[in-house]
Amino acid sequence: MRRPAAIALLTLFVCSLPVRAALAQPATGPGRFEVSIGSLWIGHQPLGAADANETTPSGGQLKIFTTSSELTTVFGVEGRAAVRVLPSLEVEFEGSYGHPELRVAISGDSEGAAAVTAVDTVQQFTIGGGAVWYLPPLTPRLSPFITGGVGQLRQMHQDRISLQTGFYYQIGGGVKYFFFSRPSGFFNAFGVRADARVLVRTNGVAFDDDGHASPAAGVSAFVRF
Amino acid sequence: MRRWTARVIAALLLIGQPEPALAYLKFGVTIGGRQITLKWADTPVRYSVSTQGATDVSVADFQAAVGRAFATWQGVATSTITYQFAGLTAALPGRDDGLSTLGFERRPELDRVLAATSFLVDRTTGALVESDIFFNTAFPWSVAPGGVADRFDLESVALHEIGHMSGLGHSALGETEAREGGGRRVLAAEAVMFPIAFSPGSVAARTLKADDIAGITDLYPVTGSTAGSISGRVTKDGQPLFGAHVVAFNVANGAMIGSFTLGSDGRFSVGSLSPGVYVLRVEPLDDAEIDSFFDSSRTVDIDFRVTFSDRAVVVPIAGDSGEIGVQVDRK
Repeated sequence: MRRPAAIALLTLFVCSLPVRAALAQPATGPGRFEVSIGSLWIGHQPLGAADANETTPSGGQLKIFTTSSELTTVFGVEGRAAVRVLPSLEVEFEGSYGHPELRVAISGDSEGAAAVTAVDTVQQFTIGGGAVWYLPPLTPRLSPFITGGVGQLRQMHQDRISLQTGFYYQIGGGVKYFFFSRPSGFFNAFGVRADARVLVRTNGVAFDDDGHASPAAGVSAFVRF
Repeated sequence: MRRWTARVIAALLLIGQPEPALAYLKFGVTIGGRQITLKWADTPVRYSVSTQGATDVSVADFQAAVGRAFATWQGVATSTITYQFAGLTAALPGRDDGLSTLGFERRPELDRVLAATSFLVDRTTGALVESDIFFNTAFPWSVAPGGVADRFDLESVALHEIGHMSGLGHSALGETEAREGGGRRVLAAEAVMFPIAFSPGSVAARTLKADDIAGITDLYPVTGSTAGSISGRVTKDGQPLFGAHVVAFNVANGAMIGSFTLGSDGRFSVGSLSPGVYVLRVEPLDDAEIDSFFDSSRTVDIDFRVTFSDRAVVVPIAGDSGEIGVQVDRK
């Protein structure tokens, strides 16, 4: 819980910096370089349900208990490095870290055992790339975009007992708000980026090979050079 | 009906206690103060079928039914054990003649024993020399594909006994209810090696379950296996608990594999598990006679509530989960 809070404070700090020179349009020429860091939220990922059954003499099934599994919401950090390749297109490299829990809710025991949620803490890392397509500005300070990306997912179980790998795909959109920007110079702009995405994770700690979609959102501070 | 509800292993007391080292109940012998797992050193295991004593089924049908049961065990892809039919014999099971023989015998005094497996063990090496199985003709038998009401399915019982013949003890993965006047009725089981047979007419025990497969794999593993294990300790009031039934449930595929706390320190180990996420359920051994599992000299604690571990346990590839502690409460 401490780390997301720290990132949120960092974001607020950046947002509160005094803005002296705000231009209508930040420089968008190819070759511009941008870095950002911020907080990340990923919604939970249902992993499925399974019953513990025993076989009856007639070939039927007697349920002993029921389980329902999920990967919980992630609060983490993410960072990006982006290069403008076209006036409206950036290519970015991104990475993130978070530590969700793999939770298995156990209930309905045939012998009356108390319901329990069994937990395993997971460390989740992603590294990948994507593209940001800028739409016409909404206001001089507010620039919307759509984004998409792919990458590798690495999820480490508690006590580093096992590393699971997979892939992720995401698509979404957001806005960038410029506190400062100018048409030329090494230091070009800074502001805050907010986006919302649909994140699809495959494999990793999931129990199957299917893609599992979760909502995701992030707020980060960026600096453009 | 209650007369038919138990199988025993005739040789259990002869060969001592279950081995405390790993999962399942495997038979062990103590030689020179050392505990040795009872298993076949050489395969294929050669077996003969007796032509004597059959009443309800023909010798040919009997041979075919036990052949199917042997093939079922041999078909476990993660195990190396193989069997070979060595021919028909006029010999009866239970004779120390160097032949592993399966046959019928009429034993009305064993009024709760459908079948039994006996062993001949080399006392110097602990190696299995011979193992015989008799089927009690005091009970009615069937080899019909769909079973026959009021008759026990020979293939199902043979499958159980061949598990013993291969070195497996009993599994506790089953639920029973007490009958009036004694004995138990099986409500359900998830292991062919559960000690009490399904009711007559049932053919539901012709298929090996995950617990059986894990057990035979533990005894005769293929090389390069990716299977892992869960180990840990069960305590009650801070003290180690002996004889608790520990079930590992794979939340991805629903497989259940059982083991026991077998040491005086309350430790357990469940082996031959496919890598993945498991939950652990610890229960008292109250669905069958305790001496179906343990030597009667051992004191098994059944005064505790069924309890789940609050840890989702991860089995890594070819590794162990690390120590998992489960604390149970008195009933």
